Parts: sequence; structure tokens; C-alpha cells
Amino acid sequence: MNNLPTEPNSMSESNGMSESNRTAESDGTTESYRGGAKPRAAVVIGGNRIPFARSGGPYAYASNQDMLTAALDGLVARFGLQGERIGEVAAGAVLKHSRDFNLTREAVLGSALAADTPAYDLQQACATGLETVVGLSNKIKLGQIDSGIAGGADSASDAPVAVSEGLRRVLLDLSRARTTPQKLAALRNLRPADLKPNAPTTAEPRTGLSMGEHQAITTARWDISRQAQDELALASHTNMAAAYDRGFFDDLVTPFRGVSRDANLRADTSLEKLASLKPVFGRDLTAQATMTAGNSTPLTDGAAVVLLGSEDYARKHSLPMLANVVDAEAAAVDFVHGKEGLLMAPVYAMPRLLQRNNMTFADFDFFEIHEAFASTVLTSLAAWEDEDFCRTQLGLSGALGTVHRNKLNVNGSSLAAGHPFAATGARIVASLAKSLAEKGSGRGLISVCAAGGQGVVAILEAR
Amino acid sequence: MDRVLADPPELTSLYAGALAVSARAGLRRRQRPSALPLDRHRLDGLLAAPDEVEGFQRLMGRARGDFVPSGYVHILVFPVAVSVLSRPDFPLPLLGMIHLRNEIHHLRPIRLDERLAVTAWVENLTPHRSGSQVDVVVHVHSGPEMVWMGRSTYLAKGIHLTGTSDADVATAVAADASPAAEELPGCPTAEWSLGGDTGRRYAAVSGDYNPIHLSVLSARALGMKRPIAHGMYLASRMVAAAGPDESTPFKWTVEFRAPVLLPSRVLLSAEVDASSTAQWRGAEVVAWDPRRRRTHFSGRLERLTVDAGAK
Repeated sequence: MNNLPTEPNSMSESNGMSESNRTAESDGTTESYRGGAKPRAAVVIGGNRIPFARSGGPYAYASNQDMLTAALDGLVARFGLQGERIGEVAAGAVLKHSRDFNLTREAVLGSALAADTPAYDLQQACATGLETVVGLSNKIKLGQIDSGIAGGADSASDAPVAVSEGLRRVLLDLSRARTTPQKLAALRNLRPADLKPNAPTTAEPRTGLSMGEHQAITTARWDISRQAQDELALASHTNMAAAYDRGFFDDLVTPFRGVSRDANLRADTSLEKLASLKPVFGRDLTAQATMTAGNSTPLTDGAAVVLLGSEDYARKHSLPMLANVVDAEAAAVDFVHGKEGLLMAPVYAMPRLLQRNNMTFADFDFFEIHEAFASTVLTSLAAWEDEDFCRTQLGLSGALGTVHRNKLNVNGSSLAAGHPFAATGARIVASLAKSLAEKGSGRGLISVCAAGGQGVVAILEAR
Repeated sequence: MDRVLADPPELTSLYAGALAVSARAGLRRRQRPSALPLDRHRLDGLLAAPDEVEGFQRLMGRARGDFVPSGYVHILVFPVAVSVLSRPDFPLPLLGMIHLRNEIHHLRPIRLDERLAVTAWVENLTPHRSGSQVDVVVHVHSGPEMVWMGRSTYLAKGIHLTGTSDADVATAVAADASPAAEELPGCPTAEWSLGGDTGRRYAAVSGDYNPIHLSVLSARALGMKRPIAHGMYLASRMVAAAGPDESTPFKWTVEFRAPVLLPSRVLLSAEVDASSTAQWRGAEVVAWDPRRRRTHFSGRLERLTVDAGAK
């Protein structure tokens, strides 16, 4: 597709960057992908997010666009991107107003980035953020863009509230009616109950079960204990509090509306406090209910973005290179008929990703498994350790392997930070890339489950 | 003998008539006939109304396709069935009858523009531990070909035609009401949140304004604390959720247990025997009340081979 020594797209991509500069800085390796040749590297340069906050809290009146713009502007300030044209910005939101059809482009226009930076929206439930990283990394690897910003925002506070289906149909019929009798006929279909608005829910459209109830079924199936869940939740909070204390998030988080740390983080929580909470999910099951507000993520507001680039781009702009985006894999499961748990798709994606890259769990130093619920992480780990499951469901010859706890979510994850759906992927990618850069070697695995029975897993590698 | 109806009977006036009959029966004890009428009621030229099918499918959470959904066929033929039940020589009171069971053979896909001939009759009047039960049979033909047949079993509570005493009835009812621990599936695959208007919404698409489904007051008049969901609403939703695509012939049965009082939260377990809808072979469904842990209904759906059940 692109056999020129320099990339056609790059000519106009970075403002003021001359063609000769570019050629001079390329170190003689083939940068762009030519059929058969190894594609060039896509590099995580850095990330930025606003602190996450529980819904209805400090960001109650901030919109997705407000938060995404703030996250972008923090990134721009951190890496000196004022007035720069970025190859492409990809982001999304799960709870999205219809007026936000161009959420990301609007956020770009409201940010300090150059107005000629293109952008697109993506939506894949909780995997939105990670999928934007995968998509833009691939474009960078193919030489279609030199730089990209991936991320997402979600507000459970400023959620869209829609009119009921009944009222919506009446209003649409009314707008099409021409004569007074037609208009009256349309209005006659209106029922009092239609005036009640519809707020978004976390219920799966095809089952009517909330995400928590779905996970409660999986939790019961895998017999995950209450104590194991509480211990994982505690580890998330203590790991994240420790990471804040040692300044790990200093160059990953920019304060927003008076908040400088994730507002959900409870540095002083304990197993006793977590054990005192009443179960909120799985109370209708015959198995004991184990999932509480403490070992489940709360509805959260927030935004996060990641700056990606080619090695060339990073060097030219004197930007750090934290880690390479190596590969990613998506999977989906049939949860509708109860054949598999709603949040189990990453379990299926993982062996496919590892096999393609000739790797095993032993090749990794960090595991970032998104904590939708503590039991989501624990069922994933249990499934990968279960010989029978790995044989019959994953088609492997034996268990996939064990994830050692000292490598798992070492700087805390969603139970501590909270989980603004579309923002979580970029939070994880930025944190993992920084961990790999600090270590100076090794690899990290990311696993993110998503509504609709989907999941995305990805590999990052230290440089 | 077939009695051919000229027009589709009006359900509302059939119910109004039945209401008047039951009011009169309250005043003076009427001698009940002890046998079923033998006449079949027939109505020709029935046609699905596309906008009604659209409304029906919207309520079921499905898109309208090119064929008539199985549950909508029931709606279409129901007035003919009720016209048999509201005959003066039918021995049981129409209002307050409880839907126990349904068995439907959907023998082949029925296009929206097919003119259908419906024949309905009653048979199998038998004693039940809490009253008397009867089967209503409906056959639907398109030209000479039978395309759909349904058998609905109803219970008239407290009506004993075979000479059982009131004491027997009391013990039978009491035994029936004792909430024994039921064996329920451990895990649901779906949850239905049924609002207080569920009965009115189904009435709007089905024309079945039986007062037992409509409001607290009208349900109380018929002995229920709260309105109950139409059995065929629950059954049709079950078919929409666990059934095959609309071009697959299938047979389905549903057995109703504890009625669904509205509003209500219902849990379901649907075991679908299919790796995808194209290879749908069947399904087993149980729906229950998570609070009182009682079964609302159970259903079984199975694929029919092309000429199965055809006459």
C-alpha cells in the first residue's frame, strides 16, 4: 500500500514538520507495512485521565464531552501538543446522548488540539477504551497515521434520559400528521404511563438481567467465595492507595473540578469493613449471595486518554516511549441462552491471543484484569486454572495457567478507581505502559470484559 | 355440526354477556348443563392485520417479519373460541376461568396475507381437584391445508359437575394452596420486569379485555388481589424469547401454575437446544416468582419436521 520511503500521510500530519526532517530521523528501518514485511511498532507515549468519581458526586453536572475534553487538554499540556494535528482521535462513551453522535470530534474541537485533527466515535461497552487503542495502534502499524489519541468518557450521572417508547411514537406520528384530525388521532394514542421517562439501566437487553445478576450466576457456578472477593477488593484499594502515595499517578492523572484522586478509593478500608456489607446481587439464586457494593464497581463518572505514536513520531517530538502495543484479540460468548457467563468472553480470547504470539502466562510480568466485579477476575483466574474447562470450552490440551497474585493489578484496578465504562481501557493501558517502562523490561496482559457477552484482551511489551 | 359465523365475534360483548350471566346466576341458582355442546364454530376469511402484528411483536420485543407469529394466531382465533365458551349450553362460567395449559402445533409459516379458516370446539370435560376442566380446540386452515392447531385447557374453579360435595372442594382447594417447596432452576437466564399496565398493554394488542387482567378493582371483582398477566402474553413472550425464527414449524406447550400478579418481577430459565437460531431444535423454559419461590409456568418448544402433525 505504501512503498515510499516516507509516508504520504505524514507529509501533512504534524504541523510544521518538514519532509526532510522526517526522512533524516528515520533510522533506516522499514517503517510502514508492506505485505509480508513486519509492521512498524505502535508505541504508548503516555496517558492522562481525570480522577474518577462515583456517579452523583463531584462530576454530577459534567457531561461526557466536558470530561473527555478535560482529559484531552491534560494530555495536550503534558506532551506539548497545543495546536498539533494528531493523526486521529478515537474515543467513545457507553451511556451516550443522541446529540453526542460526534462526541470525540466535538471534544477535539473544544480542546487545544489543532482543529484539523480528525476523530471518530467507537462503542463496545466496557471494552470501548481498549478497542480504540487497538484500532489506532493498528493504523499506526500500517503507516496510515503517525500519532493517535485513544480513550473514552462516561458519565452515569449525566446519563441520557429518553422519553418512553409510547410518547416517542406519538411525538413522531404527531410530527408527520398534517391535518388537525390526524394530529388528534396521533394524540389519542398517548397513555398516561407513556409520560414516564426511561433512564438507562445496566440490564442486558436480551435477558433483562442486570450485569451484577449475570455475574452472580457465574460467581455461583464457579463457587467463588465471599472472602476471596473481599480480599481482591481490599488488594485493589491498598495497591492503588500505595501507588498514589509513591507518586505513580502524578503523570497519569490531572485534577478536575477540585478532585485530585479517584474519589471511590478507600485507603482505609479493611476486610472487616468489607465483610460487614450486605450482598446486593445474586439474592434470588439458590447459592449464597456473595457480591456486595464493596466487591462490585460502583457507577462512575470519568474520562481517560492515551497518546499513541510510531517510534518516529515519538523521537521527532522528543516524547517518551513507554511500551509497544503488541497484539489484541476480541471474543464473545452466548450468554443469552445461559451457555456461558456474560462477562466470560475474555477467558476465551486469552488462549487465542497467547497462541498467536507463541506465549504463555510465564512470559508476563503484569496482569491487568479489569475488575468489573471482584468475582469477574476470580472466575477468569479459576477458568484458566481449570483443566477440564480449558479442555472442553477452550479446546486446549490442559489448563491455560495460573496468574500469580503479585503480578495482578499491582497498582489497583476498577474496584478502587471506579469504572466509567468507556474510560477504563485507556486508564489500564496508560498505567500498564508506565509500569512496564518503570521496570524497563517484560510484558503485560490486559483483559477487559464487556456487556453483550464480549471481551478484549491485549499484550503490551516494554521497550 | 358446524355453526358458521358471519363476522368475527366481539370479545368485549361476549365478556359483557358473560358478566350479565354470572350476575344473574348469583341471584338465582341456574341448572348447569352437564355435557358439552357438540357444535363447532367456524369463521372463514380471517386475515392478520399487519399493524396489529407490528404492535404485538413490539410488545414481545421482536421485529415484525413476513409471517404471522404463533401467539398472534391465537389472538386472531380467540374470539371464535370464546364464542363457543359463551354459548348458553356451555356448562362452565366463562369469566374467572383459569388457563391451565396450551399446546400449539404451528405446522408451517403463515404469510401475513393468507386468508384463514378457523374451527373451534370444546371437548374433554373432566373433573379437576379444584373444579372442572375443559379443552378448547382450534384448527386453522389455509385453503385445504391445516397450518396451526391449538388446544387450550381451562379450569373453572369450584364448579363440580360430577356431584362432588362442597367439603371435597374445600380440601382440594386448601391442598392446592399450600406452598410446598418447589424445585426451581438454580440460575435464571432472563428476568422480566412486568409493570402494572402489562395486562392493559396486552389487551390493547389482543383485544382481550378480560377484566381479570386490567386493574386492581376489576380483578378483585373476579376474586384476584391484583390483576394477573394474560397467560397467552407470558406464553407468547416465551416463544419470542426461546422459539425458532419465524419460518420454522414448531410445536409448543405451556403449563400455567401460580398466576403472575401485576406488577411483578419474573425470573426465567430457558434452555435452548441450538448452537444458533438456524439450528434451533427446541427449548425448555421455566418461569418463577423469585420472592415466593413458586413456578409461574413451564414450557417446552420443539422443532417439527416438515410434514409432522399434518392431517
